[in-house]
Amino acid sequence: MKNILKISIALAFLFTLSSCWLDKTKPNYQYMPDMYKPVGYETYSVNPNFSDGRTSQQPVEGTIARGKVPYDYADTTEGYDSALVNLKNPLEVNEENLANGKAMFTIYCISCHGAAGVGDGELVKRDKFLGVPNYKDRPITEGSIYHVIMYGRNLMGSHASQLTDKERWQVVMYVQQLRNELLK
Amino acid sequence: MLLLSNHAKMIKVIFLYMKKLYQTRKKISFLNMKSVKQHSPLSRLVISSLAFLFFFSLNLSAQGDPANGEKLFKSICAACHKLDAKLVGPALKGVTERRDQAWLIAWIKDSPGMIKSGDKLAIQVFEENNKLPMIANPQLSDQDIIDILEYTKGAPVAAVAAGTTEVDPGVERGKQVFKTNCAACHKLDGKLIGPPLLHIEKKYDAAWLKLWIKDNAALIASGDPLAKTASEYSPIAMTPFPQLTDQDIDDLLKYMAVGDVAPVVAATSADQEIFNKPGIGIIPTLAITIGVLLLLSLIVAATTNRKVGEEDEESGVSVLKTLIFNPFVRFLAVIFFLLLGAWFAFGYLMQIDVNVGYQPIQPIVFSHAVHSGDNKIDCQYCHSSAKNSKTSGIPSANVCMNCHKSISEYKGELFGNNTKEDLDKEIQKLYDAVGWDKTNVKYIEGYEQKPIEWVRIHNLADFAYYNHAQHVTVAGVQCQTCHGPVQEMHDMKQFSPLTMGWCIDCHRTTAVDLTKNGYYKNIHDQLSKKYGVEKVTVAEMGGLECAKCHY
Repeated sequence: MKNILKISIALAFLFTLSSCWLDKTKPNYQYMPDMYKPVGYETYSVNPNFSDGRTSQQPVEGTIARGKVPYDYADTTEGYDSALVNLKNPLEVNEENLANGKAMFTIYCISCHGAAGVGDGELVKRDKFLGVPNYKDRPITEGSIYHVIMYGRNLMGSHASQLTDKERWQVVMYVQQLRNELLK
Repeated sequence: MLLLSNHAKMIKVIFLYMKKLYQTRKKISFLNMKSVKQHSPLSRLVISSLAFLFFFSLNLSAQGDPANGEKLFKSICAACHKLDAKLVGPALKGVTERRDQAWLIAWIKDSPGMIKSGDKLAIQVFEENNKLPMIANPQLSDQDIIDILEYTKGAPVAAVAAGTTEVDPGVERGKQVFKTNCAACHKLDGKLIGPPLLHIEKKYDAAWLKLWIKDNAALIASGDPLAKTASEYSPIAMTPFPQLTDQDIDDLLKYMAVGDVAPVVAATSADQEIFNKPGIGIIPTLAITIGVLLLLSLIVAATTNRKVGEEDEESGVSVLKTLIFNPFVRFLAVIFFLLLGAWFAFGYLMQIDVNVGYQPIQPIVFSHAVHSGDNKIDCQYCHSSAKNSKTSGIPSANVCMNCHKSISEYKGELFGNNTKEDLDKEIQKLYDAVGWDKTNVKYIEGYEQKPIEWVRIHNLADFAYYNHAQHVTVAGVQCQTCHGPVQEMHDMKQFSPLTMGWCIDCHRTTAVDLTKNGYYKNIHDQLSKKYGVEKVTVAEMGGLECAKCHY
């Protein structure tokens, strides 16, 4: 009888030990994970069906994704000069567009360009990224702003992958508003 | 204790050294004066000219070449020394401020000889570093050693010139002008978009530079041959800066001639850091050891007591025996252990696949605390698809490169057990993935890019649907509500359990703000009337329906 008690105590002790998930660099136990793991391929998962082994693929050359507008200006100095003059904002200037433009600006531009667009963002203050120009010092138009968001310019990289077409134009609208404010 | 004694030792050593330095300096000047006075005018002239030559040569030699020094340091010293961390020998950054240059030259050339000769400082250094002798380097010339010392200052190339001479206030102004206007495309000591600009005044005439900076396009158009060759540096035209005044450009040129002034490194700071580091690990280890010792002594005490009890009191044992064989007590014990077992079993089952604290090792030591906390970059800058899609998005490497084209080394506060070199290597991993050549500042042509295989932390079971856009854009929930204080985490880990109970709790308590949205205002009014509440929660809008998340 005493032995049984001892054994059960020992078992209970072992049981508590085994329930401890000690190595936090590995995921915890799963019980019958059939419905846990997705059957389809997840966005960032490895995929044996493609030659480069990735699920997320580039669009096939010569195709346009649904809802996307192709951008015809080339990533060259000539393309920039052309966009500067010819490219126009298709969106109407209104509260809603400006509000979202501001929201997007606050996420994607503010770190370098600063809240007012004078080039005093947090990264500039911390000496990480230097020489960010004041919007009023540059002869920029809506077309050139859009072009630079698409392709980047000098050390600024392209932000096309982070913003949709519409969001880019909203940011352009807001940047123009900031610039006009600075030029006053 | 170890920590404290080391500390005290360091301070004492520095104090002794300062004292010694002061004394020797006084002695030297005294001797010089006397010897000059005693000699004839001719020999005085010879001596003074020699002295002049000596000081002049010192002055010259003070302008060591850090590039050569770096090469030598890497081939000779780096086996045992690092600049800013202890390796076999001590950290060498700022060593010139701790020790005399002449002493250092003698030490590097023949440290064993110096120790034998009885040089007090040499013996002290020898004993401080575990009595490991440093290898003598008689093959190095004085100039070589000066170059190495220059490199250990750890300052950018041109720092030396400004070391002793007073800094022109124009230099500081020029630095500001440089930072706000030029630094987007130029660095002092390396290629960026444009060429490096240190000592540009040696290459071009100041008047020409003024014209070039103000309007390079006009200069090229005027047919200036120099401008034409300069414009061929890169297909990208330089931005004109008509807003800069002549004074601005003069200051700018002053700054470019001098470069950054070397930051004064406190003599002890590097060493303190080294001694502080092991301290982090000491306290928990101590606590564990004490705990184990306490446990052991308790076990020992318990077992000895029982033996004493068994020998002394027969009655005590009999009481125990009757208790054990009492059926009612046994029944109670069984119930107790059954309940205890059930409790453990239930607890075990409830934590299956709950991954709070899951912290996998990522392929790159990426610190959210540095990016999001220190640099205040918005979460959505990198996780940009959170606003429009189901997944929050792991940024593709081009997003990293938006900043890391220009940030190729880590200059912030160190974290974890990483040295600056370690963290620079982590940035290099990104460059290896995308094929970025950081010395020439461009992508390597024809490079086969490799994916960075991040380990996913937040894995929701496939039978539950979760949408980021719905929570981030529509509801305006902060990322930190579910992911915790990410801006303080160097190593990302799971903060929330992501269980159904946890979801439901939040849906029950969170009120939905529909007042800003005209379309839903009617529904809101109807629902609030139905439930008799002022603000409708997610649950009351159907946020508890099974098929909302399970379908």
